Amino acid sequence: MNDKKNAYLTIGLICGILLSLTVADLLKSDRLYSETENRVLASMPEFSKEELFWGDYNEDYEKYVTDQFIGRDKWIGIKTWTDIVLQKKEINDVYLGKDNYLIEKHNPEDYPEDLVNTKLEALKELVEMWDARVMLVPTADNILSDKLPAYALYYDEAAFLEQVKEVIGDEHYIDVYSALAEHSEEEIYYRTDHHWTSLGSYYGFRAWAEHMGRYAYPYNTSNMTTVSDNFLGTLHSRININVRPDEITYFSETELRPVEIVYDLIIKEDSLYEERYLSTKNQYGYFLDDNHGFVEIGTGCKNGQTLFVIKDSYANCLIPLLTNHYENIYVMDLRYFNGRLFDFMETYEPEDGMDVLVLYNCIHFLEDFRYY
Amino acid sequence: MVFSSVLFLFRFLPIFIICYFWAPQRMRNFILFLGSLFFYAWGEPVYVLLMLFSTLSDYVHGRLIDVFRGRRAAKGLLISSVIINLLVLGFFKYADFLIQTVNAVVGTTFPLFNLPLPIGISFYTFQTMSYTIDVYRGETKVQKNLLDFGVFVTMFPQLIAGPIVKYKQVEARLHKRETDIHRISYGAKRFIIGLAKKVLLANNIGVLWTDISAMNYAEMNVLTAWLGILAFAFQIYFDFSGYSDMAIGLGAVLGFHFPENFQYPYISASITEFWRRWHISLGSWFREYVYIPLGGNRHGVGKQLRNILIVWTLTGIWHGAGWNFLLWGLWFGVLLIMEKLILGKILSGIPKMLGRLYTCVAVLVGWVLFAVESPEGIAGYLSAMFGINAAGIWDRQALYFGTQYALLFVVAIIAALPVVKILVNKLESRHTGLAIAVYRFGEKLIPIMLLILSIAYVVEDSYNPFLYFRF
Repeated sequence: MNDKKNAYLTIGLICGILLSLTVADLLKSDRLYSETENRVLASMPEFSKEELFWGDYNEDYEKYVTDQFIGRDKWIGIKTWTDIVLQKKEINDVYLGKDNYLIEKHNPEDYPEDLVNTKLEALKELVEMWDARVMLVPTADNILSDKLPAYALYYDEAAFLEQVKEVIGDEHYIDVYSALAEHSEEEIYYRTDHHWTSLGSYYGFRAWAEHMGRYAYPYNTSNMTTVSDNFLGTLHSRININVRPDEITYFSETELRPVEIVYDLIIKEDSLYEERYLSTKNQYGYFLDDNHGFVEIGTGCKNGQTLFVIKDSYANCLIPLLTNHYENIYVMDLRYFNGRLFDFMETYEPEDGMDVLVLYNCIHFLEDFRYY
Repeated sequence: MVFSSVLFLFRFLPIFIICYFWAPQRMRNFILFLGSLFFYAWGEPVYVLLMLFSTLSDYVHGRLIDVFRGRRAAKGLLISSVIINLLVLGFFKYADFLIQTVNAVVGTTFPLFNLPLPIGISFYTFQTMSYTIDVYRGETKVQKNLLDFGVFVTMFPQLIAGPIVKYKQVEARLHKRETDIHRISYGAKRFIIGLAKKVLLANNIGVLWTDISAMNYAEMNVLTAWLGILAFAFQIYFDFSGYSDMAIGLGAVLGFHFPENFQYPYISASITEFWRRWHISLGSWFREYVYIPLGGNRHGVGKQLRNILIVWTLTGIWHGAGWNFLLWGLWFGVLLIMEKLILGKILSGIPKMLGRLYTCVAVLVGWVLFAVESPEGIAGYLSAMFGINAAGIWDRQALYFGTQYALLFVVAIIAALPVVKILVNKLESRHTGLAIAVYRFGEKLIPIMLLILSIAYVVEDSYNPFLYFRF
């Protein structure tokens, strides 16, 4: 091969790549939503002279072209792979932990003292008003800290929980941290998702029963039912590499007695579990039909007791375990509720009172716990 | 528009290249001019008029200087051209800075203009000034073709981030240029290397600087501070030299020979050497149009030192309208003067490694002045670097940063040193069949791999800053 042919070959290869991608990109059709990135992609901006000269038309158009670029998911995969080759142990705020664990990163600086104090003040008021019990679940980075990359930082939830205990008092504080720490060798967190597993929530349930001084319904941890073995959760979406999927399991004892459920005052169901989610990306939605502002659960446990839960998505797999302990369970997700909380609770409180449980993971609590 | 974007790589570039090479020779300058205007107007739909004004102004001045050559009017026209350029630059780049300074010193409250800085204005005003000055000096012929002159000013490859091309450097190829397959192949590879420097190295290591620069300097330990400023040093080098590579590469594809802008600056053993290797086109511009006209080193040491200080004050504020940039320029001015007077002799007497270490520390301190901006921030960061704030040598987070970026730092160091260049030279000098085969395979495989990786990073596009918005 002479020099000239060699140069032609080089140019041919480079132009080939650029041109074929350009043509393919121009021919492909746009997507509305990216399953792997779990977000709506930018769409073609509307053209107008004003937007062009004084608005953001150019920026919007660039965003559109980039978001819709051909094979976007594959390119992101290549980037992630390169990051991993470069020994990056952290991608999009997800730690690539040991034993194939993906662990969400929580930067200590994001949870300053004044944020903690504001949240605790609001919590204290709720606790004092309703004699509420508080279960703030630590996240995987704290319990599985030996699986984190070397020297990785995490927000110290043990210290935060000490503060919580001090503010609300021992009699209101459910120590789920120790309960989980004891079982940190078991699969209590998903490897690809930021939630705890049904097994993790079972240890939370045990801690609750112990705190309340109640007999805990004997769920059998060695006989849990597996409903999915291909769950790739939210953390996987953020880094988008090939990892072993998780299993989703649940305690079939929770289905022994009939339940009646009303979601957001309208939708009636007769199961705590929604199988249709298992064929979507959001498989954790299997528990309690994903997230709803308000859920009313009537159980077959006719003991006349009522529980009001103020919670985040961590609670969704624990609440089924409580159906053997209460006749009525009301579940409130404050993110979807704009009314006055105490007034709303009063309308659901039976004459002989009700138990109130605040159930969040520590991070969601610090980020989302607020009421009027 | 920036090179490291989907829009440029998969819309503008293919369409432009096809039109350009499809068109007959005589149409090519017109296409290049239109393409460049579109390229610039994409991000600056209004300021493109300013650039056209600047082009027209210097075209007319050049013609008139030529007409009045040898008469006093020629000098007046040259001064008028320079003043118009400096006024444009001064108004858009320095007016608010001056007002702020006056307000702060005198206590007045003149309102600011708050105009965004036109991208590339410092580059193209310097280019057009070089033209009128050279026409006046008789070092170049006047350009009578407005289109050819327009191409010189607006040419998109080097429009927004240099190199600063002097008119006489491209004059011969402005009207008509032959390009051959070897130059195109070289240009394409050079462009990809520049793109890879920008998106694979600069953007990646820049994330570390972004993280560290946002931290509280009063509590920052020594290791973190050094990791941060090292990351910035690599970020700005790979970003800037990557842009120059892309410009030079695109220029080669179109048939131009742009001057080199960077020559492995981080191997320098003195600051004098550093500035012969860093942003060469700017240094040579100031040398030719400021330092030497002021008398250079021909009127005694005192005048020479004055001239050095003037040039470095200007170099400083050329990089941005802020006191920190002025300080940054003066820092190098003072070091250069010291090297001229005594340090130079010492440096030539000690092992080269020590000279490199001194240069490294001096340049990194310089980057603190450049990157941190506020006086308190600069003081805080420097005291963190040298342990004056007593925040310790390292902590868990510093070790985490270190382990996260260790490999990237190694890659960056290798890429910043002439390692690849030496290897390629060795390979090329062997004329065995195997060496040629390895070379030919590598020169295709490596750019293509870099291109694919770069596309992946451009498409993901989570961190792709434009560092020259203040130049």
